Amino acid sequence: MANRRFIVEPRGLASWRLRVLVPVLSVVAALVVGGIFLALTGENPFEVYGQMVDSAFGSTRGISETLISATPLILTGVAAAVAFKMLVWNIGGEGQFIMGAIFAAGFAIWLGDGAPAFIALPVVILAGGLGGAVWASIAAIPRVYLGTNEIITTLMLNFIALALMNFLIFGSSSPWRDPEVSTFPQGRPIPDAARLPEFFNRLDVGIFIAIALAIVAWFLIGKTGWGFAVRIVGDSADSARYAGIGVPQKILGIFLMSGAYAGFAGGLFVSGPVGALDPRSLDLGLGFTGIIVAALAGLHLLVVIPVAILMGALNNAGPALQSIGVPTATVSMLQGAILIFAVAGEFFIANRIRRPDPDPVPELEEVAA
Amino acid sequence: MNESVLMLTVVAAIGLGTPLIFATIGEIITERAGILNLGVQGMMLVGAVAGFWATFTTESLALGVIVAVAAGAAFSVIHAFTSITLRVSQIVSGLALTIFGIGLASFLGQVGSDPLVGNPSKKVFEPILTGGIADWPIVGPLIFGHDILVYVSWLVAFGASYYLFHTRMGLSLRAVGEDPASSESAGVNVSRVRYIHVIVGGALAGLGGAYFSLALVPTWQDDPIGAAGWIAIALVILASWRPGRAVFAAYLFGAAERIQFTLQTLGEPWSSIPSTLLAMLPFVLAIIAMIVLTSGKRARYLGAPAALGIPYFREQR
Repeated sequence: MANRRFIVEPRGLASWRLRVLVPVLSVVAALVVGGIFLALTGENPFEVYGQMVDSAFGSTRGISETLISATPLILTGVAAAVAFKMLVWNIGGEGQFIMGAIFAAGFAIWLGDGAPAFIALPVVILAGGLGGAVWASIAAIPRVYLGTNEIITTLMLNFIALALMNFLIFGSSSPWRDPEVSTFPQGRPIPDAARLPEFFNRLDVGIFIAIALAIVAWFLIGKTGWGFAVRIVGDSADSARYAGIGVPQKILGIFLMSGAYAGFAGGLFVSGPVGALDPRSLDLGLGFTGIIVAALAGLHLLVVIPVAILMGALNNAGPALQSIGVPTATVSMLQGAILIFAVAGEFFIANRIRRPDPDPVPELEEVAA
Repeated sequence: MNESVLMLTVVAAIGLGTPLIFATIGEIITERAGILNLGVQGMMLVGAVAGFWATFTTESLALGVIVAVAAGAAFSVIHAFTSITLRVSQIVSGLALTIFGIGLASFLGQVGSDPLVGNPSKKVFEPILTGGIADWPIVGPLIFGHDILVYVSWLVAFGASYYLFHTRMGLSLRAVGEDPASSESAGVNVSRVRYIHVIVGGALAGLGGAYFSLALVPTWQDDPIGAAGWIAIALVILASWRPGRAVFAAYLFGAAERIQFTLQTLGEPWSSIPSTLLAMLPFVLAIIAMIVLTSGKRARYLGAPAALGIPYFREQR
């Protein structure tokens, strides 16, 4: 070991500066890599990035669209963050999001035009959370009581939820399908009472609900007795068991909470900008983007909010790029690159790299300094 | 007899299962070294786009396959670096690889003044060994008349099986996946073994991706491989980390994907089952298999590498 040039050792708690610096540098590094790809394929990276910033933040309309895109990402980000923090590998945000949308639209249509907004809105949003939690439970219950690997089950449930949504709209004459359109099937519009009011261009109050729900999650995990127990389980299931904490119930609780948050996102998306169970508007990979948000936020439930706005800005910039002849997929490539660098950056948060100690320093000098 | 519904389904299942064989065996080799790589979907997509591009530019299928294999291998190095050298969470790193791969493949298909997207491949893998022998009852269509990559997939399965269980390197590989610390004491370079086998896994995933873009759906589109990469990860468990079993597991899922066409040919009432519902079948099958196989005590007999997913810290020994 003596002749090594560097020593890598685990560090205790990383400073907040480092924990801000690493994600910021991940984004910068991803932009550089993306820029190289763009340049190699004949685009001007500066022009592309300029266009992205402009379309995301350059106008009031841009800002409102960015926040619309950010709303579901805050919630799918929280969904991934709470689960990953407890080492519950819920990769099923996508499916839970869709199931939330199916439940929310279903309840909205079932309530019909008669229900006033103060009843319809809470019912629809809670239905979204319920849908997500129900869908998560299909993977959560076998995980907790049988030890089934949840990575694969939650993943497979994504595709089943997608197929179910397609079935409800394209494959059947379900109540979700608009009976008045016969040419190309689409979702039945939900009643106006179940739609979130808009206040700034197309931006609806869903953004405030999402932020409030993120704060609730932060409070539940960080400030309550239940959250304390859950965090112990996340740190070490063995010590939790020793302390008499019911580990299976805590894991089940976190799993369902994670599913509910992804479901809330689906509910808010249906009662907000989409207004129907519309496969083309809902199959956007928002559950997966939530994983990027959570990783870049260092699994911190409040940091998720600004990171979701950044990712929302990126998502929102895609269509604008098309107008200057740059592929919309530039955005998903950049998001993927950001995630890769954020993951690699975890190393620098968890470890310290230093030069090996030179010859022992005389103690006197140290005292004098 | 060779035209019976069952036969046609089985033959189609062989085609649909072939990319799954490549990807599954690749992931088996990676996981045998103790590294879980959830980036299969991303590596397959990168292989698919790279292979398609190479064949599109050079009109050579051989070059397409070589480029796809190289691209998959190169792309997997990212995961090898983050999970072996940086020792970050293999789960998150693999997911990152998939998400990046999806974006990158889609970007490469769309970019440029004359993008690939929407273009048919200039060359497509055609069946070989056709003619008389392929008409033999039952055996004919099962063994003959496939494209060359189907035979390559059988060779890969055989070769991987032999390598894992009958060679010295295969033994070191399995030892590293079971107990890296002891392997290190026995003189095995754990990091090197892990790097090599993550890259081999990436190469095979790239080949699996190219099978989609050059044989199964030879027109470039944003998402040409469906959920094949994810299915492959499930198949590893279903095959209990054995390449031979992976072949049959892959064909089973190939058949499940084929089921909607099969039911259509059977007529009423089968043909009236909506295809959107039948699309769920492979995934439902995977979940049931997962719950049955990986639950409780049974999981122990499956043969998962003991060190799978656990970062190896040499210094902390």
